[in-house]
Amino acid sequence: MGQATLYSVSYWISNLIATAIGSILPAGARAAITSSDVVTGFAVLIFAVIILAASMLNTILLIWWERKLLGRFMDRRGAMHVGYAGLLQNFADGFKLFRKNTVKPREADPLGFYLGPTSYMVTSLAICGILPISSGWDTGALPLTLLLALAIFSFAPLFIFISAWSSNNKYSLMGGMRSAAQMIAYEVPLLLAVVAVVIVAGSFDLNTIVYEQQNYWFWGPLFVALLVFVAAMLAEMERIPFDLPEAEAELVEGWNTEYGGMLFAFFMLSDYLRALVGSILVVLLFLGGWTLPTWVPGAATSFPLAGIFWFMLKTYLVFGLFVWIRASLPRVRTDQLLRVGWNRMIPLSLLSVFLAALLVTAKCLPVFGCVPSPGI
Amino acid sequence: MQPDELSRVLTPKLGENLIGVEPFDGMAGRVRFRREGALELFRIVRDELTFTHLSMVGGIDWVDHREVFYVVWSDSIRQYALLSTDVPAADAHLESATPVWPSANWHERETWELVDVTFDHHPDLRHLLTPDGYVFHPLLRSFKLHEPEELEVKSRHV
Amino acid sequence: MSEMWINMGPQHPMTHGLWNLRVRIDGELILDADPEMGYLHRGIEKISEDRHYNEVVTLMDRCCYVAGLAWEHLYVLASEKALHITPPERAEYIRMMCDEFQRIGSHIMWYAAFVQDIGLMSPFLYGMRDRDLVLDLFQSFSGARMTYEYMRVGGVRSDLPPTFTGQARKVLDWLEPRFREYDQLCLGSAIFHKRCDNLGVLKANDCVTHGITGPMLRSAGVKRDLRKDRPYARYDAVDFDVAVADGADVTGRYLVRMEEMRQSVRILRQVVDWLEAHPGPVMADQLPRWLGAPYAPVGREGYLLKRNYAKGVGFSSVEEPHGEAQAYVVNEGTEHPYRVKFRSPVFANLAAVRQYLVGYRVADIPPILGSVDVCVGEVDR
Repeated sequence: MGQATLYSVSYWISNLIATAIGSILPAGARAAITSSDVVTGFAVLIFAVIILAASMLNTILLIWWERKLLGRFMDRRGAMHVGYAGLLQNFADGFKLFRKNTVKPREADPLGFYLGPTSYMVTSLAICGILPISSGWDTGALPLTLLLALAIFSFAPLFIFISAWSSNNKYSLMGGMRSAAQMIAYEVPLLLAVVAVVIVAGSFDLNTIVYEQQNYWFWGPLFVALLVFVAAMLAEMERIPFDLPEAEAELVEGWNTEYGGMLFAFFMLSDYLRALVGSILVVLLFLGGWTLPTWVPGAATSFPLAGIFWFMLKTYLVFGLFVWIRASLPRVRTDQLLRVGWNRMIPLSLLSVFLAALLVTAKCLPVFGCVPSPGI
Repeated sequence: MQPDELSRVLTPKLGENLIGVEPFDGMAGRVRFRREGALELFRIVRDELTFTHLSMVGGIDWVDHREVFYVVWSDSIRQYALLSTDVPAADAHLESATPVWPSANWHERETWELVDVTFDHHPDLRHLLTPDGYVFHPLLRSFKLHEPEELEVKSRHV
Repeated sequence: MSEMWINMGPQHPMTHGLWNLRVRIDGELILDADPEMGYLHRGIEKISEDRHYNEVVTLMDRCCYVAGLAWEHLYVLASEKALHITPPERAEYIRMMCDEFQRIGSHIMWYAAFVQDIGLMSPFLYGMRDRDLVLDLFQSFSGARMTYEYMRVGGVRSDLPPTFTGQARKVLDWLEPRFREYDQLCLGSAIFHKRCDNLGVLKANDCVTHGITGPMLRSAGVKRDLRKDRPYARYDAVDFDVAVADGADVTGRYLVRMEEMRQSVRILRQVVDWLEAHPGPVMADQLPRWLGAPYAPVGREGYLLKRNYAKGVGFSSVEEPHGEAQAYVVNEGTEHPYRVKFRSPVFANLAAVRQYLVGYRVADIPPILGSVDVCVGEVDR
């Protein structure tokens, strides 16, 4: 069976809908509806809707996974009652937030107050549209998907700062400044670790990076880069141990203190979207994406949607690691965090770049059992 | 330390400001003094008798006079001592102990606002437990719990 | 950024109680601190003047709701001295047992809130799970998990159930390895040390001049523990060590409280053995008749009832989980105390907040205030 890509699926759906609508219309309108331009346009729309639905669903499932796993770490069970094993709990929470009043403080700046969380959400969703989940889940042959994803990812500090400042609240302002400082400081080691991967893989295109990992995953030779990437990603996602900006212990809720209702839902969803994106990036860059090692029997990789299945499994396991870290470590203070970022992370990431360059020059070491890849 | 030893140390220094030292519950003694000798007594008790820890300052309303008592502890002899003085209700003021024991600060604030004994030269004599602008002194005998009180209380920060 | 005053409270998830901490900050640096108390002032001392001696015991539970039995013990000791009553030995051992289990419960509560504030989320729940066992023990003999109303002037309300000593031993066996777990999660974490070492330092001299007592004082190296220095309720008959640390910082206070919990377990094993081996009365038998009648009427003639019992003054001082608590009870020969005055350890510890908070960062406030172990009920009374 030929590889079905996401685009071909959405084209098929669009064709179906167009034919169905066209069958009840007179001949002239029918021809217009089923013309290839309209169907293509419709297909693109459906394509976007599928990606949107998939990312939102995954985010909500990620929240469920976090709540249950965190609960088990804390010797309790997490959400239990709504839906089987609490699977519908987050839908219920989302519905609750959806129907709440959105309250804006009187002195808060309306443009920043409303646009901040909205833009935050929009950029987080935009990244989800670029990342490939499996070999068929292609959004077009963009040569620089990784660069684009990371660029959009780093918009966040700007929107957080806008939201914090326009809230007209001392606590929010302090939280926003801390948050922006933390995120900007940890962009550098993050990107340097990514540079190490790009050097070994030879391309910014995520599809190529995954393809280059078909013989060996990058977490072996680029272990230092993996550590730096995970730590920097934790700081970017503002999870414990780096969640001081939203530490409820001192600043109530940090930079989103003044937000309630749907705007708060935007923040929460965006936070978990970014967590999803972070985990996906770890899997794509270091854990071989949707591929499995060559010694795995073919039956495990040839059932329908196998790529998506293994990819999602790896993503949720990586996120499970993030939850484990959250359950067991205390919070780091902002200035200690920045000091670690500048003094330890950056040298480590530079080291990983150096090691990657060595790797490529030496055409890789036999101890990792690899074969020189064709692309380099 | 026994009460007679305490009395022996204090009598020559305080003279007639010392009313008496009596035994009290295994403490070094219960020292009754006149309010004029307050600061001097505090200094002697802290420096010569090593009672460095002031743990409680309290006030009792005896209707025609008010009693202020201090409980001090010494780490070297591991004993308490109780110092108490009477101030007349019409003229209820007393020298503050904060220059000698900084821990007296909040205790004296509470004693003033509850039992209406003003402490002279207190660095910060304002309301602690009752709202700002509260005009009553609740632990006085004249303040009846079963009668309603009418007052207008301003918020702390306008 | 210019300097500004920030209100942390009175509604704040971190301050653990109803009080307002005003800090003047410049960016992240704390320049001044001014706590505002009184939001929880209920007039316990004034109400006590209107109540029978045994009725005041219910108020003591609410004074410090985390360590209710310790405050009941405090008041009851002072009242017994004022009324010239001696409790029987078994009652004193039961009170000691209550005190020490209360110390474990209060310190676990402190631990849970403290680590939650610095970001460790799991030990909060482990602590709550273990504290529940202690609360179940309290429920078995007093019927309540928080407001026990168990002690009376002259003894305790009722004897322990027959299964108590077995249950208590099981709880103690469960708790000892748990303390090791708590330590692994905290002392074994480099982030914990970065957050807590050399923070909120208040040296021994400053502690003593500012009236600081309890684990804060012992963390500065001063070896003062009222259970050893001025023993009450048979503490001279049990074997234990005083927990002292020398850092005078947040980590030092953590170490002191953990060690105090271990010593409490040690004391409790001895006390439980004694309680099993020595049955007996739990209430003094020479009680005045009027003390057994809690609902004595308030006379129409005025505030003081025209009774004429023996007068007295009672002073007691106990080592409560937060520090040194004192009670001064004046008995003027009637069925109501004339004046009760309490000294709360947290009152004095909070009064000195300027000494150990100024100069640090805003992000340091949760660990420092957590190490002070604030319980506002006893500050405001």
